[in-house]
Amino acid sequence: MRLLRSISIACVCCVFLICLHTRRAIHAEEAPVTQPVTWSRQIVPIVYQNCTTCHHPGGAGPFSLLTYEDARRRGPQMVQATQSRYMPPWLPAPGYGDFAGARRLTDEQVALIRRWVESGMPEGDASAAPQRPHYDATWQLGKPDLVLTIERPYTLEASGTDVFRNFVLPYPLAATHFIRAMEILPSVPAVVHHANVLIDRTASYRRQHPTDWKDGISGMELEVDAGNTFDPDSHFLFWKPDTPVLEEPDGMPWRLDPGNDLILNMHLKPSGKPETITAQIGLYFTPQPAVKHPMLLQLEDDRDLDIPAGDRNFVVQDELKLPVDVEAFGIYPHAHYLGKELEGWAILPDGERKWLIRIPNWDIDRQSVYRYRDPVFLPRGTVLHMHYVYDNSKDNVHNPNAPPIRVRAGNRSVDEMAHLWLQVLPVNTPKGGPDPRLPLEQAWMEHRLAQNPEDTIALYNLASTQAGLGHAAEAAATYRKLLAVHPDDARTLNSLGAALESAGDWQGAADAYAQAIAQEPSACDARFNLAELELKRNEFAQAQDRFRAMLGPCPGDAEAHSGLGVALLGTGDSASAQAEFERGLELDPANFTALYHLGEIAIEAGQPERAIDLLQKAAAQRPGDVDTRERLAMAFAQSGRVEGSLAQLREAVRLAPDDANLHSLLSQVLAGTGRLQQAIEEQGRALRLQPKDADGWNNLGVLQARTGNTAEARTDFQRALQLAPDHAQARANLARLSHP
Amino acid sequence: MASRGALILFCSLALVARAAEPFGTDLNGHPIEQIAPDGAKAVVLFFAASDCPIANRYIPEIERLDHEFAPDGVRFWWVYPNPADTAAIIRRHDEEFHIHAAAVLDTEQRLTRMAHATVTPEVAVFVASSDGLREVYMGRIDDRYLALGQERPAATQHDLEMALRAVLAHRSVPKPGGPAVGCSIVPRPTPHNEP
Repeated sequence: MRLLRSISIACVCCVFLICLHTRRAIHAEEAPVTQPVTWSRQIVPIVYQNCTTCHHPGGAGPFSLLTYEDARRRGPQMVQATQSRYMPPWLPAPGYGDFAGARRLTDEQVALIRRWVESGMPEGDASAAPQRPHYDATWQLGKPDLVLTIERPYTLEASGTDVFRNFVLPYPLAATHFIRAMEILPSVPAVVHHANVLIDRTASYRRQHPTDWKDGISGMELEVDAGNTFDPDSHFLFWKPDTPVLEEPDGMPWRLDPGNDLILNMHLKPSGKPETITAQIGLYFTPQPAVKHPMLLQLEDDRDLDIPAGDRNFVVQDELKLPVDVEAFGIYPHAHYLGKELEGWAILPDGERKWLIRIPNWDIDRQSVYRYRDPVFLPRGTVLHMHYVYDNSKDNVHNPNAPPIRVRAGNRSVDEMAHLWLQVLPVNTPKGGPDPRLPLEQAWMEHRLAQNPEDTIALYNLASTQAGLGHAAEAAATYRKLLAVHPDDARTLNSLGAALESAGDWQGAADAYAQAIAQEPSACDARFNLAELELKRNEFAQAQDRFRAMLGPCPGDAEAHSGLGVALLGTGDSASAQAEFERGLELDPANFTALYHLGEIAIEAGQPERAIDLLQKAAAQRPGDVDTRERLAMAFAQSGRVEGSLAQLREAVRLAPDDANLHSLLSQVLAGTGRLQQAIEEQGRALRLQPKDADGWNNLGVLQARTGNTAEARTDFQRALQLAPDHAQARANLARLSHP
Repeated sequence: MASRGALILFCSLALVARAAEPFGTDLNGHPIEQIAPDGAKAVVLFFAASDCPIANRYIPEIERLDHEFAPDGVRFWWVYPNPADTAAIIRRHDEEFHIHAAAVLDTEQRLTRMAHATVTPEVAVFVASSDGLREVYMGRIDDRYLALGQERPAATQHDLEMALRAVLAHRSVPKPGGPAVGCSIVPRPTPHNEP
């Protein structure tokens, strides 16, 4: 079934500044000056550790601090910038979250720099200085596996306000890859404040801007359509000059599929001359698929953002209760120019307050994602809190409006935002249950709807989540609420159809699909679902017509061809069916239905090796599909590879431990290899699941008799006859036991 | 800051003696003897540095003001006081930033001392009087930068422009509304005997 799913609001928030800089006096205890502070001894280690990743020739910093001469030139500025905590750029207050890569200088270090400058900036013994770090203008992790470049160079004007621009970079490969690291070469590092990368699963942004996407599109935030599977935004792909490489934790790479786009949202600062940007994204692949699936949760309250002109303490808050245990990996606070004090914390179920972040002097120019040094465990029942204070007075130097005006939420830099994103990984989740991110999504969307019952994106996502959790009737009710607002929306009608189908309302489902098609004749998903529904109801001829009709508006749809193949099988036309499956496979070599049925056809044609090849590919697509394992076991058995067959059946039994037939089948194959004891055990499991299976008791009796357990065999045959007095074989076996 | 404010006040009342020596050199090494051409109503010295990001970001603004006030008899000079800014570097910088204005290499930092400039970017406005040049404005260009790290999205008060309008209207010239923010001017080691 194909469901069009969540629309996620991806916030590429970028934004600018806000920094209420309170100049503060240095309280560092100044040690008595016993020896002179020199560049080589005390200052170089501070500078190489904290400054030169940006401040090197060609780096993002506007000047170099790599050599003594460089630093001497900037001495007074270094004092100013470090005393005011303008540099190194690091907004979080110490003690409110333990972050990796914290760049805050200690008070002692700040005092050292000042003493050095005040004492005339002596170089000291150059031979005592640590080795100068080497910075390469090319990829730091070596040559990337894939380099994407913006389509057309962008010219940043010489002057004016900061620029926020979105560049679309289509993923050009025909295979899915997992990304363990990403690096950006911005081409002119000095003008790039930061950049955010979004994955547009459905290339929706490109479709929204068919004529101008190659030039980049202006804007601070954007929305993309998340596509037809539950696939929430999962990673912060946030880049800033001092951390050019973004490496993901083990087991947690992110994924790119054919047809995805990357959107590079850049915050650019005019330099005084026109600059030509030809940014590149370097991707490093890993062959290991993700085994941990985090998601990005958002707290926000843009609705309450309505800040009167002149208000210097306007508070916006939000809270969200966690329905599952999670580990938090990173946090991304976001406001525009009026944000002043940004705080996030968690109240644990026992009442303890755990700080997630505190930024006392927000500055949009230096916004960042902050990653925790170690994941922060937040048990189920924890309440996340966001508390932001805004200053819309004229004393806020970052105020973009002079004089101040009333400000509300919006995407322009003169509007505001109140967002707090948290990257969380559900932990301690039961095995085999639904995607553990679904309850998180549900809690989030229900919360959004509590804030704003008319939030249609939240309604859609909630309905999809309910469907994903198997609550089909609830999902259908939620889709209907959405249809009350947008009665003609083909996507919602299709999703309603799917929910009704899951709830067993076949007629309602068919009506909803038909309405979706009526609203939008090219609604391929609804067309597919309707044809598939007929297939399930064994209305093969009708399904054939539907699939054929679908190929008009949806040419090249592999699933339409394979669906047509199944419908043709239904009417016994296996030659035509095979042709359709082959066409489907040609269009999409990973098409499961085509692989599975062609495998079955190969078994019937006595071509076990071909069957094994096809079915193994099918199993790779759906490793949890029991039927595929069973067919694969048959193909192996047909080719005489009993061990292969046993392995597949054992996997099938592991996947479906309550399927009595599988245990029986496994028992028979085991018996065929002479492993009678194991065969008896498997048959016993089958009968515990299905105790009224006369054939099963008969089979068990045979196995017992073969191992010489005559008494057990007799009981088993009698049991079979109790259940089915006409069971001829059981009767014959029992007779043979009595008169051997 | 307080002491510099006092200096500016003092200077604005004082008359600066015409320098007997050249003010500096142009990019070809020729001495610049005269910075106030006949008939000029005001002279603006824009203290710049090729490697100062904030100074560079002001280039378009200075060009705008130059363009706007040139017809009124205001003469702009781009003054490069730092020892590292050699003629070759400035030439390359001018080319990179498409600057067509007249540059002065302040080889002895005479103009820097005359204007009492300490950072780039910073501007001084002089008016010609019978006794020489009189400094009527010294400081920031506008209020976009309030301190390092404190930057407005756009300027709300254009101090230099206001000063020039006041000069041209023969009104008293307002003082800058705040300190100039940027990169310190690097002192030249050469001794000097200026007043």
